[in-house]
Amino acid sequence: MLQGALAGLAAGGLYAVLAVCLTLMSRLVRVVNFAQSATGMFGCYVAVWLSVHVGLPTWAATVVGIVLGGGLSALLGWIISTWLAEADIGTRSAVTVAVLLLLISLSFILFGNKPQPFHPILDGPAFSVNGVVVSQVTVVTVVLSVVIALGCRALLTKTSFGLELRALSERPTTAELMGIPAKPLAVAVWAATGLLSTLVISIVAPSQSNDATSLSMLVVPASAAALLGGFRRLDLAVVGGLVLGMAQGAVAQVDSLSVVRYFLPFLVIVGLLLWSQRKEVWDVAR
Amino acid sequence: MNALQVQGITVTRGAGPVIRDVGFTLEPGRITALVGPNGAGKTSLLEAISGVVPAARGSVRIGSTEITKHSRVARAKLGLAHIEQGRAVFPGLTVLENLKLTARTWPRVEEVLALFPELDKRRNSPTALLSGGEQQMVVLARAFAARPKFLLIDEMSLGLAPVVFTRLLPMVTRFASEGAAILLVEQFTHLALGVSQDAIVVSSGRVTYQGSAQDLLAAPETLHSAYLGE
Ligand SMILES: Nc1ncnc2c1ncn2[C@@H]1O[C@H](COP(=O)(O)OP(=O)(O)OP(=O)(O)O)[C@@H](O)[C@H]1O
Ligand SMILES: [Mg+2]
Repeated sequence: MLQGALAGLAAGGLYAVLAVCLTLMSRLVRVVNFAQSATGMFGCYVAVWLSVHVGLPTWAATVVGIVLGGGLSALLGWIISTWLAEADIGTRSAVTVAVLLLLISLSFILFGNKPQPFHPILDGPAFSVNGVVVSQVTVVTVVLSVVIALGCRALLTKTSFGLELRALSERPTTAELMGIPAKPLAVAVWAATGLLSTLVISIVAPSQSNDATSLSMLVVPASAAALLGGFRRLDLAVVGGLVLGMAQGAVAQVDSLSVVRYFLPFLVIVGLLLWSQRKEVWDVAR
Repeated sequence: MNALQVQGITVTRGAGPVIRDVGFTLEPGRITALVGPNGAGKTSLLEAISGVVPAARGSVRIGSTEITKHSRVARAKLGLAHIEQGRAVFPGLTVLENLKLTARTWPRVEEVLALFPELDKRRNSPTALLSGGEQQMVVLARAFAARPKFLLIDEMSLGLAPVVFTRLLPMVTRFASEGAAILLVEQFTHLALGVSQDAIVVSSGRVTYQGSAQDLLAAPETLHSAYLGE
């Protein structure tokens, strides 16, 4: 069980970072970005292609992939803030579903439908607990998820950039009338979450199922984690991601339960939604 | 200092024009009252000036710069501020954070807070927890903090007791005396005319009176017929 849970922690860190990205996007730029992990997947696939076919060193290819992931996300953000500036969150999110499908098909067309020969960026054990080995990938992703969440919180509460972002998220028109540039700030948020998603996927993908669809569908467990924080709280998004990853790892250890782990994110989403509804009913009944 | 010039502005919404061919000039240091019945198009006119909605025809100029096609942000950078109808606070931000958004420096934040002792006492409260009057003070203080050259104020009094409103009006006067040009939209017509030099009455999208605020205040029958669009 412990071994399974620790093994699942790397995936947990990945979910946590993606959940933080989803939370930031929904809070700051009014979009549930279904293409969050697909963008990262695409950046990573291009990185693998560059290292295999162009002969770029792994680190250089990875950097190019991460920048590409950020750029792709920024482009999508620019398109949505230009043409759907006043649209509601549902419409804006629907566009990202189209992008998700587009990126999956594009990766099939460009790179085929086999998993990619990823070169691990990090390899080997970091330390062991009770004889259970914890990998470097696990340590780095978990630390990364906590550092990113704390960093974003500090940015939002302590800097004037963060203050402007919060103002924009609460009343975009009023903020613009005060001279706060909505579009550049929104595109910056898109670019940052694109960079972070691609970064963490390129760290974890080599040790996970890394076909295009699996990587793109990471958005599902990430959404489950973000939902725990109501798509508002970064700390709960991190906790949700880590716990979900560990639970999946633990369940995978038990033979009779091992297929359950694929459904776990869905169960969590349904459970959280039902629970939040129950609370509302209770409030109304009062 | 420059003036803000509005010429032949027409604003279209839904079915048709809600503001037709309106023109006036806002001069530094002067307050212009903009009054008229509900639905006359006052808010739409302000929104066309600040860029919330596009103008179908006509032009808006600051000095010699034509800003009719400028973005909202670009207009704000040229010194235009617009206090929207309703309480345009950022509920999740504290009073201080609201002011920091527009004040360029700390001393400016303190300077503005000194004008509003009620707010100073609650500087770290989220705006959502303030009373309606206090929230409107935050909006006013936030606009002042930016030191705009042109300030459009849309029904500051909405939902406030008249006594609270009469507490806020002197702030507007004070700000004009520091050199700002102000366009004041108000339901409390007499209070607004009382602090203004110029007046515009709009009815069904057209200007029905344009001239001295004092003259209008002294001639209730003129005001009455202007409201009715005669
Ligand atoms: N978003 C909108 N879409 C379509 N029509 C609108 C919209 N906003 C306002 N209108 C219409 O435009 C006209 C002018 O409205 P506006 O809000 O500018 O008037 P107002 O003078 O500010 O009224 P009030 O004193 O009630 O605030 C009204 O007939 C209104 O129904
Ligand atoms: Mg109005």
